[in-house]
This record gives sequence, C-alpha cells and structure tokens, in this order.
Amino acid sequence: MQSGTSPASQSAGGRHSTPWKPRGGAALPSHNTLARIMEVSEKLSLLGLSEQKVKETLKNESLTAVLANIADQAGISAPVNKSVGNLLYHLATKLPRQFHSHLPLLVEYVSDGRLDQEAKLTAAIKFVQDHNKEINRAEFEKKCGVGVVVTQDEVESAVAQVIKKNKDSIVKQRYQFNTGPLMGQVRASLPWAESRKVKEEIDLQILTLLGPKREEDLVKPPKNKGEKKEKKADAAPSNTPAEQTEKRPLTMAEFLKTVNFHVPGENYKTDGYVITDKTHDLLKEHLKTTGGQVRTRFPPEPNGILHIGHAKAININFGYAAANNGVCFLRYDDTNPEKEEEKFFVGIRDMVEWLGYKPYKITHSSDYFSQLYEWAVLLVKKGLAYVCHQKPEELRGHDPPPSPWRDRPIHESLQLFEDMKNGKFDEGEATLRLKTILEEGKVDPVAYRIKYVPHHCTGDQWCIYPTYDYTHCLCDSLEHITHSLCTKEFQARRSSYYWLCNAVETYCPVQWEYGRLNMNYTVVSKRKIGKLISEGFVRDWDDPRLFTLSALRRRGFPPEAINNFCATLGLTGAQISIHPDALEACVRDILNLTAPRAMAVLEPLRAVITNYPGDSPTPVTVPNIPGNEEKGTHTVPFFKEIWIERSDFREKEEKGYRRLMPQQSVGLRHCGQVISVAEVVRTSSGEVDYLKVTCEPASDANKPKAFIHWVAKPFKCEVRLYEKLFRHECPEDPSVVPGGFLTDINSNSLTVLESLVDSSVRGAKAFDKFQFERTGFFSVDPDSTPDHLVFNRTVGLKEDKGKN
Amino acid sequence: MTDSILREYTQRCAKAEKETEKLAACLQALSEGGVANTENTEAVDKELLDLLNENRKLKYRIGILKKSIERQRENAGTASFGNSKNSCNVLGHLENLFTSAIKSAYPSVTNVLAQLQVSKHADYQCNDAMALAKTLKKNPREVGDNILKNVAPSPLISKLELSGPGFINITLSQNFMKQQVTNIVLNGVTPPPTTPLRVVVDFSSPNIAKEMHVGHLRSTIIGDSISRLMEFLGHDVLRLNHLGDWGTQFGMLIAHLEDRFPDFASKPPPISDLQTFYKESKKRFDEDEEFKKRAYQAVVKLQAHEPVHIKGWQEICEISKREFSKVYERLQVKIVDRGESFYQSRMEDVVKILNGGGMLEEDEGRKVMFAEGADIPLTIVKSDGGFTYDTSDMACIKHRIVEEKADWLVYVTDAGQAQHFKSLFACAKRAGIYDAKKTRIDHVTFGVVLGEDRKKFKTRSGDTVRLVDLLDEGLQRSEEKLREKERDKVLTPEEFTKAKNAVAYGCIKYADLSHDRSRDYVFSFDRMLDFRGNTAAYLLYALTRIRSIARTACVSREEIVTEAQKQPIELEHEKEWKLARALLKLPDVLVKITEDLCLHTLCEYLFEVSAVFTEFYDNCYCVEKNSEGKIVKINLNRLMLCEATAMVMEKCFAILGIDTVEKM
Repeated sequence: MQSGTSPASQSAGGRHSTPWKPRGGAALPSHNTLARIMEVSEKLSLLGLSEQKVKETLKNESLTAVLANIADQAGISAPVNKSVGNLLYHLATKLPRQFHSHLPLLVEYVSDGRLDQEAKLTAAIKFVQDHNKEINRAEFEKKCGVGVVVTQDEVESAVAQVIKKNKDSIVKQRYQFNTGPLMGQVRASLPWAESRKVKEEIDLQILTLLGPKREEDLVKPPKNKGEKKEKKADAAPSNTPAEQTEKRPLTMAEFLKTVNFHVPGENYKTDGYVITDKTHDLLKEHLKTTGGQVRTRFPPEPNGILHIGHAKAININFGYAAANNGVCFLRYDDTNPEKEEEKFFVGIRDMVEWLGYKPYKITHSSDYFSQLYEWAVLLVKKGLAYVCHQKPEELRGHDPPPSPWRDRPIHESLQLFEDMKNGKFDEGEATLRLKTILEEGKVDPVAYRIKYVPHHCTGDQWCIYPTYDYTHCLCDSLEHITHSLCTKEFQARRSSYYWLCNAVETYCPVQWEYGRLNMNYTVVSKRKIGKLISEGFVRDWDDPRLFTLSALRRRGFPPEAINNFCATLGLTGAQISIHPDALEACVRDILNLTAPRAMAVLEPLRAVITNYPGDSPTPVTVPNIPGNEEKGTHTVPFFKEIWIERSDFREKEEKGYRRLMPQQSVGLRHCGQVISVAEVVRTSSGEVDYLKVTCEPASDANKPKAFIHWVAKPFKCEVRLYEKLFRHECPEDPSVVPGGFLTDINSNSLTVLESLVDSSVRGAKAFDKFQFERTGFFSVDPDSTPDHLVFNRTVGLKEDKGKN
Repeated sequence: MTDSILREYTQRCAKAEKETEKLAACLQALSEGGVANTENTEAVDKELLDLLNENRKLKYRIGILKKSIERQRENAGTASFGNSKNSCNVLGHLENLFTSAIKSAYPSVTNVLAQLQVSKHADYQCNDAMALAKTLKKNPREVGDNILKNVAPSPLISKLELSGPGFINITLSQNFMKQQVTNIVLNGVTPPPTTPLRVVVDFSSPNIAKEMHVGHLRSTIIGDSISRLMEFLGHDVLRLNHLGDWGTQFGMLIAHLEDRFPDFASKPPPISDLQTFYKESKKRFDEDEEFKKRAYQAVVKLQAHEPVHIKGWQEICEISKREFSKVYERLQVKIVDRGESFYQSRMEDVVKILNGGGMLEEDEGRKVMFAEGADIPLTIVKSDGGFTYDTSDMACIKHRIVEEKADWLVYVTDAGQAQHFKSLFACAKRAGIYDAKKTRIDHVTFGVVLGEDRKKFKTRSGDTVRLVDLLDEGLQRSEEKLREKERDKVLTPEEFTKAKNAVAYGCIKYADLSHDRSRDYVFSFDRMLDFRGNTAAYLLYALTRIRSIARTACVSREEIVTEAQKQPIELEHEKEWKLARALLKLPDVLVKITEDLCLHTLCEYLFEVSAVFTEFYDNCYCVEKNSEGKIVKINLNRLMLCEATAMVMEKCFAILGIDTVEKM
C-alpha cells in the first residue's frame, strides 16, 4: 500500500498541505515523495544552507519551490560558495512572486558573480520591479553597480571624510558614539562599498582618532530606567512624571510613520499582487483619482457595538492615513439587512470620534449595490459566476459536494440571476456563486443570496444582498483604497480579493494584514454580551466591566490611553491576547498627568478632633497635579469633624501596620497635622462608631510613619468599584471553563459604596476624571445627578494592591 | 391513597382550567383581529412568531415582485423602443408577449411558443388557441379569451380582438408605428437589441497556387454578407480566410520552382499564371518518378523550416495572395488571411493534448479520434506522422475558441464538407474544446453552382470557370444591358461606370444570396440582369427611382429630417400603413436570419419592400404636377416615407454587400 491515508485525509492533504508533513501520523510519504524530498533538500544544501536551515525551509512549501527553481536555473551541481548561496536565498525571500519572470536574469547575475553583494542585489530586485515590462541590460547593470569595484583607497577616503564631519561629537562622546549613521553616510557616497570593509575602516579610523579604550569607556552608560521607586505604600504615586516624557513610547501617529507599507500606485510591487494586462492602466487611473494620496478605511458591520479589538483597527486605519497625510473612510459594511439597527450606526461613529478621529467620508457598502449588481452580471457573462440551487445546509461543513449547476449555460445563469433579483425564488432557493477557490479551501463562495428583508439604507429596493466576500474588496476598489488593512484571518481571502477585482477589471487595492487583538478576562461577541445583559450580569452594552468602547469610556478610560495602548501593540501578524493590566497601565500613564487630585473616603470612619482650635474650618491648599504647578491648586476645608478610611485604622495592634492605631499616630495629607487616637467610641452593638482623636502639627519630633487621606465637610456620593467580570483568562475556552462563559462570572465584580468626597469635586460633570488620593482614578458616571454624584473607579493606582 | 389521587386530579383540573382561560383569551383576541398584538400574550407562541415573520417576508416579496413586473412592463414599453440605438423587432416582441400570456393562462402547458401570422383583418393574428384547445380538451374560444386576458399591456398594441372560433386579432398601435418609422428617418436604420458577441466567420478559404472558382465565390459572397449582418447587429466580427497554404502540394511546387527559376531566392520569380505553373508541376509529379521523390523531400524540408524552402513557399503564397486580393477588392470583401500554416505549432500542441487525454486510437498506423455524433473519425496523425486537414481544423477550432475567445463560430463551406465538420465539432466537444452551452457553431453550407444546362458549372471547354473571367464577363454583360436600355445617353461617363460596376457585382452577389443557399443554383447572366423580377438590376433601379422622387421635388434630405423632427410621420392612407408595416419588419427579418443564417430571407424582404412601395406610390401622390408638368403640391409626409423606404433598402443592400447608386 502506497499510503495509509483515509479518503478524508487524502482529500485534505491533496489540496493544501505539504505532502511530506504526515497528517495526524496516518499518512506516510510514498517512495516517490521521499525521493522528491531528498532531491529537494539536496538542492537546498547545494545552495549552501545548513542542515538545520534546510529542515526549516522545507516547512515553507512555496519558498522551497522557489529555491529549488533557483537551484535549477543556476544549474548548480556542486555546492556554491557561501556568499552566492546567501544572495540566492536572499533573492528567493525578497523577490515578490509576481516578478518571478525575472528570476532567470537575477539568478544569472548572482551565480556568475556580477551581483556580488546584498546591496547590489537589493538594487537589482528594485530595478526589475520598476521596469517590469522590459529590462534594458545596460541600464540595469548601471543601476545595480554591476562590475563596480570599490577600492580600499576609496573606502578610506570616504570614511575619513565622514569621520571629519562628525569629529566633534566623536571626540566628545568617545566610544559611546553611535557609529551606525556613519555607515549610512559612507554608503551615500559609495553605494557599492562592502559593508564589512566600511565598518572595519570606521572602527580603525575611530581608534586612530581616540586611541585605545580607557577605563571610563568601559563603563556602561546609565540606563534611563530608574522608575522603580514605588516602594512606599503611603507615598503619593509618582509625584514627578517629568522624566517619563523622555522615554515615552511612540504614539500611534509616530509609530505608523515608521511602518513600511507600499507607496500608493506601486501596488504591483507588493507580495502576491496579481498583475494583469489592465493593471498598469488601472493604477495610472487610480493615481489620477487620488493624486497619490494614502486612502484607508474602517469598515465595521453595523450590527453591534465596537469593542477594544475595533480600537486597534480604528487606530491602524485612521492612524496610518493621518501619519501619511492621507484620508480614511468610515464605511458601514451593511450588506446584511437583518441585523442592522440605527443605534449601532450612531454608536460606531460616536466611538470613532471619541477616539479622536474624523472620517474623510462616511459611506455604506449599500451605496454601491447597483454597481455591485452590474459587476455580478458581468461575472456571469464572463462565465465566472453562476446561479446555484444547493441548499445552505448542503454547503455547510467540510468538503461540501460540488455544485451540479456550476457549468450551466451563461444565458441561463443570467436569466436566473435576474429572476433572483425580481423575487421569483424563495429565500435559500438560489444563490449566485463565484467560480473561485478561497485559500482555506472553500469552493465557489456565495456572492449573492435572497433575503426578503428591507434594508436600512436601500429600503425595499432589493431582495438579493451581496455577501461580505463579494462586497468587501469591490467597495475598497470603488473608494480607491490604497491600503486595505485587515486582521490576519483575512489573509486566507487575499487571493480571492485580488481575483475578484481583476475579474471585474477594476482597480485592485493591496491587502495588508495585522494580528487581531484579543482581550483576556472578557467576551466581546455581540451575542454573548447580549446574553450577559439579558441574564442580568451586567447592566447594558456600556457596563464598565465590559470591554466595549462605550464601556471603557464610561469607566473613564481616556481615548488617548487606548490609542497609545494600540501603538504599543505594533503591527505584527501574530494574534495577541492581552491582559487588561496592560491597557490599564496606559490609562494610568495618561490619568497621572491629567486627572486632578481629590480626596474621597470610600468607607468612612468618623473622627472627632477633640483639640481642634476654634469653631471654623481651616482652608487647606491641595495641588491639582503634584509636581506640576501650572495646573494650580484647590482648597479643601479642615475641620474638627473628619472622616478617614475605615481601613486606615486598626483597633488591635498589628506589627508592620504603619497607619492609625490606638498606639500609633498618623499624618493627614496636605494639612500638616498628625492625629492620635484618644478614645474609640462604640455603638450599642459594640462596633466602632467613631474615634475621638487629638491632633498636633507634624514636626520632626512626631514624624508619623504614614500619611492618610481624609475629608471634612464632605458630601455624599456613590462609588462603584469594579473587578474583572470573569475569573479565567479565557472564559470562552471550553477546556478551561467547561460550563460556558456564564458559569465563569466573578460574583464580586461590582461593589457599590456610599462614600464621602471632598468639596472640590462638587459640580463635576459626567466623564470628569479625578485621582482620589490613595484609592485610585475615578470618573463621573452619566448616572450622576447634581445632587448625587456617582463615581466609577477607572483603575486603581497600581497593579499590586498589597498595601499595608 | 385516594387523597393523593384526588390531589393530582385537582391539580390537573386547575391546570386545564388555566389553559382554557388562556385559549379563550387567545380566541377573543383573534376574533378582535388582534393577532399582531402579541406583546401582551404572556408566553409568546413561537409558531405565531414564525408565522408573523414569514408573513412579513411574503409581503416584502409581493412588493419586490410587483416592482419587477412594473419595471419589465416599462422596459417592454419604452426602454428598447424609445432609444435611438435600437429598433424594435415587432413580431418577436409580440410573440414573446403571447408566449408569456399562454404561460400565465395555462401554467401547466410547457414548451409553448406563440406563433403569429399576418392577418387579413388586423395586423397580426394569434391562432395558438386552436391547437392548445385540442390538447387541453377545451373550447377554443374560451382558450382564446383566456390567452387574450393574459396578454400584458404593451405600447405596440392598440387593440386585441377575439374573432371566429378563437383567433386573436392584433392591431398595432398607430402611435408606436409612426414613431418607429419616424425614427428611421431621424436615426437611420438601427439594429434590433442584441447582446454583442465575438464572432469568427470563416469563409472564402481558397487554396494557394490554385485558382479561385465559383465554389469559392459562393463562400465569399455568403460569408461576407453574414459578416456584414453581424457587424450591423453590433457583434465583434473576425473574418478569417482559412487559406490552404500548408499542403503536400508545396513539395512539387517548390521542386518545380527550383528547376524553373533557380535564383528564386534572390529574385522574385516572374510567374504570371500560377495555375499553369501548378499544372506543369502536377504533370511532372504524376509522370516523373525522380521529380516525385524530390517533391516529397521538399515537403519534409519545408516542414523542417529549411530557409530556402520557406522562401520558395513564401514566394508562391505571395503570388497567390496577390491574385486573391484582386478578386476581394473587386467584390469589396474584407478578410484576414490566416492559413493552415498559422496553426503548425498549435497542431503539435493539440495532438499532444489529445494524445495525453487518451482520445486517440491507433488505426493501421494512423491515429484517429472518434466521438459521439461523429459518423467518421478524424484522422489526427497520418501513418507517416504528418498532419491532416482534420488536425489543422482541430487546432484551428481550439485557437478560435480559446485564444480568439469567440462566442460564435461560423464556417461557410460547400455542403460536401458537412460530414467532416460534424465529426470535427463532435471531436472538439469530446476534447473539451467546444461546449455548446458556451459557444455557438454554425456550419453554413451551400449547394453547387450549376450551368444553364443544370450540370456543374463549366466553361465550354469543360474547365472550371475562373472567377476572374466570370467577373469580367459580368462587367461586360452589365454594360451591354445598360447600353441596351440607353442609360449611356442619360448618365455621365462616371455615373455610367459606377452603375455598370454596381449592377455587375450586385447581380452576381444577389443572384447567389437570393437563393436558398442549401440548394444548388443555376448561374445565368441573362436572368440576373433582367430588369424585372427579384434581381439586383431591378431593385437597384427601383431604389434610384425612389431617390429621384425627392430630387425631382427639390427637397433635400435635411429638409425631410427637419420635418420629421417636428412631427412623426402620419399613416392615414391604407397603403401608407402597409408600407410602414413592411419597413418595420426589417428587425424581425434580421433576427430570423441570425437563427438560420439564410440570407435569401433578406432578399425576399427587399423585394417585398419594393413591391409594397410601388403599391404605395401608385396610390398615393407624393408630388402633384399639373398638366404642364409643373409641381403644384409636395406631400412632405410621403416624402418622409420615401426617405425611410430608401434607407431601409440601402441598409439591406449594405448587408448583402451590394453597392447602390444615385442614378442608373
């Protein structure tokens, strides 16, 4: 028996897995296959790849094929020298697929040594992309430095010049001087100089200039990382945010300026882009329309509320456009009429604007229904789409049966498609399918289906609605999107994206993928949040325990914090799961600089100062933002009746406890007083009712171990404290939470307190933010009324709550 | 024990009572028509919700359907008729209308296509009720009535009437007809709405080094006219001359060339009569063994692309093509040369594919291909490894479908090749090259040309008639005829030459096209130059007469157009109406020709138009003169009708490939 696969695994293996990767151990490669692997790996090792590298490379089927192809073209029969091998490998990884017609040329130049360095090869790769149609060899050789030999003398003089220019800083910084940029400067005058030689020469000349390293040169420069001084529990958190600005992480806009996407109009140079006869003209026309402007779009389905994952998409799309003086569309992808509700439309726009972005235009996929329909007709006419009558249930699951209607005559499909549009079929009785195969193996995706449902925008005009697969890329094309940025899952649809644009002969944008953001300890799906609401676990879509954007706003997260958080995630392809702490850290960074200080006692304990002088309150000045005098101050009254945090008092002596005890006095923040317990007054049931205390001004003599916050003449408010809504990182993972996400609810996720807050916050409006000293950052909830303020705790002051 | 049973019963009873109450409430609600008010129902019934949902969807669907109907009605009404690019094929439209009516009246009856006849009582009539009544076993009048009621309103129809046992008489709308005739004057003759296709028409296709004869003439004339028709309809037409330029005959020709003109490679051989040259070499080939051997070697060398042999081949082809192009020029035929040699590499490919696909079978050293529907197999590879006509035709059909991306292939050849093409299409289908659902292929065949003795057309000496000689004779006969009619005394010398040419070539073409192409036809200059009857001579003359009407009245075309812009042509006189109807039949005629590619229908139509016009002209004064011959009244409305008639006739001539003249 040649292979021991079951029919099912054969078909799966046949289509899209590497033949030498046995599936589930069942399949063994046949003799032929083995021979082929041997042959291929032989070729790879002839290219100078190490055994390890060969193994790794074999896993990448397409790269292997390219390398084997290169080896054949180079006619390699004995191992090539290492530098040629490296260059050929470089060529295989760097030349986009659609330019592989130039492989023979480049392989020829590399293997006979005319392209003998990476810089030349890089120039050559760029050259063939710019001159795809026809290569003029003379020009090619000129541009790529073929035959140029840089002499040692030339290197020396070029380096000497550069060193001379930078002499002052080099002498000053000595060996701390970063020589990296010098390389670039030399390269500018001597593009084909060998990097290694240049580096050696620079090192040599610097040595000549500075002499050998002295002792001071060996000391490592101090790192700007001295921020770990949050030991003292009672000290106000980071009073001096001044030095933070220096090592501040990049903002979204700054970060996105560093991203290396293609230049508008050079779509054809990107990896996997499909070049057709029309590409050149379409791109030319595209550039005429856009003037070379970067155009992106944020295309949410208007069927739910935006969540933290969308924040990343918004930031990347709007951010990338902003970073390149481009524009970004907000496009409601409203192809599915059943789900859309007005409130979602409004909500999405609100959130985009809340994050500080302004859409260039607000569009709807449904704006293009007529054009999409015309294109569908065109596809049918070109024999690239057909009307199918397989039932939806027949098409579900893996490997559904092929459509028996695939090859029906074109005119028949045309008529039937028209009939679909005219209401002649029941729902589900007919679909329009595209003759293409998605990378994931889905055959002939559906482009149109029948729904007898009115549409939010088009009313009762249509009863056939296009699918996401069909609509998305064509809308991108119509809006002349330059960079269609989407999450990694859509990589599998990139080829059908390009196929479709080319099939209808319209401008084809470039799709770039980035990793999706998942937040731990929460759920974001519309259905699951709905369930949480209907089961009473949370109050609404914007319950601050959720990670919808409206919830985060309500909880008090500043939009800048969310944006900065997204910037820290970068644009890597990997799907990331993030602990909420990471986001909270970004929130603290912002609030620390912006939220004015106030004092609130969450669980009050009354203290009467028996020796308070006089009968009127004393004003105490409190800085709004410590360490930033520009932000001003406010006054709060100090009086004989004050309230302190119940947890700041221990009746029983406790070792290591630094705050108020009958035996130990404590300082009051801002007012410079120290109080000591005179008497503990109890209720009839024996609990502590209030304290009688005495106070005296703080001095070196009575220096307390700690200072606590307090309020006098306060007013009542409601404080809501939140914890994670779920107990496990992945509440949706059935292996961790077998009972389903509803069984994983943390019953203590919400605590509501009757608290007292100082008078400085009186008159605060919804979403105003404060730092309540020692208890955290708070934001005014929209539930508040002028007489009854409600505060949500946005985040605590630190991640670790273990204070003494 | 009894206690517990009792308790159970009591409970059940209470439950039943509650249920009853609920049902009573539901009933109450239902009787008050409050089905939609489900919010108050304590437990919302799922079934009810589903039904409500379905109801909503059905209502939505009704809306969509109603709008579709409206839209189609509008389309039927205006879209295709109101525009200036297309004209309406009246009969086709009416037939569609009645087909739909029959379908909606009797949905159970399948495969009914309404057929309408010209009516004596009205314009058209529909007799389908008779046949239908028989199959349905119903009263035909009742059936007719039912069909009539189901005819969707159309702007074409002014009246529908049930008459006799169940005929439906159709009277066309005056307004519609007026507008359509006026459109001809305003926008010219426009084609009926057509989906543009890529069409390849293969015609003429003579063999290099041989003379074109009357057989090629038929193919050339018919193919050219089909191409002209397709072009008029808006198709993208590629006219191809499938020259026989790659046969074994080149061996002997080149060998002979080497002997006769040893320096042919450097100096173009002065061969004036290629046919004689051909005959010479053929003679040597048949008689001289040594020569024969050399001829075979020459074939091998030619196919190996030996430069000298290729050169010789090119020279011979050039001479031949020059001769052919003279004929095409005279006949005003445009065609792209693409001979068998073009397919050489493609033949190799196609053989590889067929071989690889396991479609070839060994047969005494040959490789043949069978297919369902092919009476004889195709010989794809000869026993000596060479290719045949079958091979090149296979490569050719593939090239036309795959590379030329043709939607429609037309081959115009004599009927003798029917079996070959039948096999070719069947094999192409088997090979997956041709799919009848995607590509339409027509083999347009024609009969042989007979002499007046009803035997194969030959010269007196028994040779095949050279085309050039035939055309020359045509010119001569045409001139004689015109002189006989004393036209040389009326026309200027230029006008006379023009008329002579138009009549000569027009007559030859028309005589060919006006006969059912599948039949053999008798070639007779006497008959085709007759100024009476269905001949080009008569029709061209009739056209000049129509043209002369406005000229005599000194009314220019511009004046006529201005008039037509002001108001549509009136059709008050019975003969005016009849003429208008005849003119508006053209789109129907053209649509019919696209189905069977029989051009004689167009000739019949052209003849009919001229006859109807004569009737009109005899009955309706266009220009009134007094006894002194002075014009006293010009009827502009009728001049518009004359203009429309002339335009329709000219369009017909243009499709037939016949030049018209102002004066004759």
